[in-house]
Amino acid sequence: MAEHVGIFGGRIPAEVETLSKDLKDLDKELFRKILKGKISQRWWKLVRAGSLSEEKLSRIVSGLFKLLREALRFPGSSVKQEGFKEDLRELRISEEFIADIASVVFGNRRSALDAAVTQRGPRLPSLMEFRWRVDVAISTSSLARALQPSVLMQLKLSDGNVHRFEVPVSKFQELRYNVALILKEMNDLEKRSILKIQG
Amino acid sequence: MAAIVKETQSIKEAVAHINAIDANKFTRLLSRILQKLHLKGERSFSEDEEEKLQTALAMEKQALHLVLETTSFLLEQAVYHNIKPASFKQQLENIQVAPDKAEAFCQAWATAGPDVVEKIRQRIFAPKKLEHVGWQLNLQMGQSSQAKLKAPHAVLDLGVREEYESEHLQNVFVEFSHQELLEFYNKLETIQAQLDSLT
Repeated sequence: MAEHVGIFGGRIPAEVETLSKDLKDLDKELFRKILKGKISQRWWKLVRAGSLSEEKLSRIVSGLFKLLREALRFPGSSVKQEGFKEDLRELRISEEFIADIASVVFGNRRSALDAAVTQRGPRLPSLMEFRWRVDVAISTSSLARALQPSVLMQLKLSDGNVHRFEVPVSKFQELRYNVALILKEMNDLEKRSILKIQG
Repeated sequence: MAAIVKETQSIKEAVAHINAIDANKFTRLLSRILQKLHLKGERSFSEDEEEKLQTALAMEKQALHLVLETTSFLLEQAVYHNIKPASFKQQLENIQVAPDKAEAFCQAWATAGPDVVEKIRQRIFAPKKLEHVGWQLNLQMGQSSQAKLKAPHAVLDLGVREEYESEHLQNVFVEFSHQELLEFYNKLETIQAQLDSLT
């Protein structure tokens, strides 16, 4: 009985269960291509010409996808490579395929993969572009000599919206102060013991 | 300095009415108008109050309106030129304002004037203005595609008001990771440096 919880936590998706069978007589090069995600039109033609049925290929892609998605959910630091390989062996996937899959999960492209996934999680819009301008009102209809500075800001957000507004100097100070405060809080948070929860 | 107001027929009429008002009552009138001068579009007195004033000053509606508008106008001109109290008094006497009323204007201006000028100077008009800065710091522990995160996230709530919508504050929510917030802060610092170089 395994001491650690397998990556699927007990509920193994159907496509992953049948993965070992489907992978059995799969050409290694083909497997590597699928793993990399290089599935193109031209390739489908080759596949159809060969011994691999479309149906089988779909199952393999689906199974691998689910497998990788679950494996990549956990931060690299909390999954032991040996434990992971054991899980794959229990699924009866052959050794050489295990090595390839492990290299995706533990290799050097892992951090790039993680960054991409974080971006795609549910988020409020983030700041894509920030443009600004400092203006000084020399004269207005209310004041012949105003000489009052103000800041014009334009925020382009990730949801496509662009917000342009004027910021009076006092409000600007307030904004700057608050952002500095949040940064300080973030630093404190990252140092505190709550973050020493071991994965 | 040049005359801040031309002696038109309308002004002559208004001055005549003003001169007829009891000195104490007029001082109180001045004080109230000055209080609300920097608030755009807001009347100095509500409908009810105006009715009461009509009775208190024994004036018809039209006459009262003329007095209120003209007094406001004279004060707005004082703001525009940032006139000195003594100069103001002189100019008022030039358009036949009675000495006691001119003195009342002068006193009120000397007391509350600088404050009003400063409030008006800080008033900027723009299609949209930042009015409120709120924020929330979250520690993201996980999401559907990633488990065991410990990522601090900040959400800035920028309350922006449209120029003529006094009721409705638009909330712009922007989410920042630690790195993103740091970059934003650095840009705010650059803006601050620009503002500092103006003084």
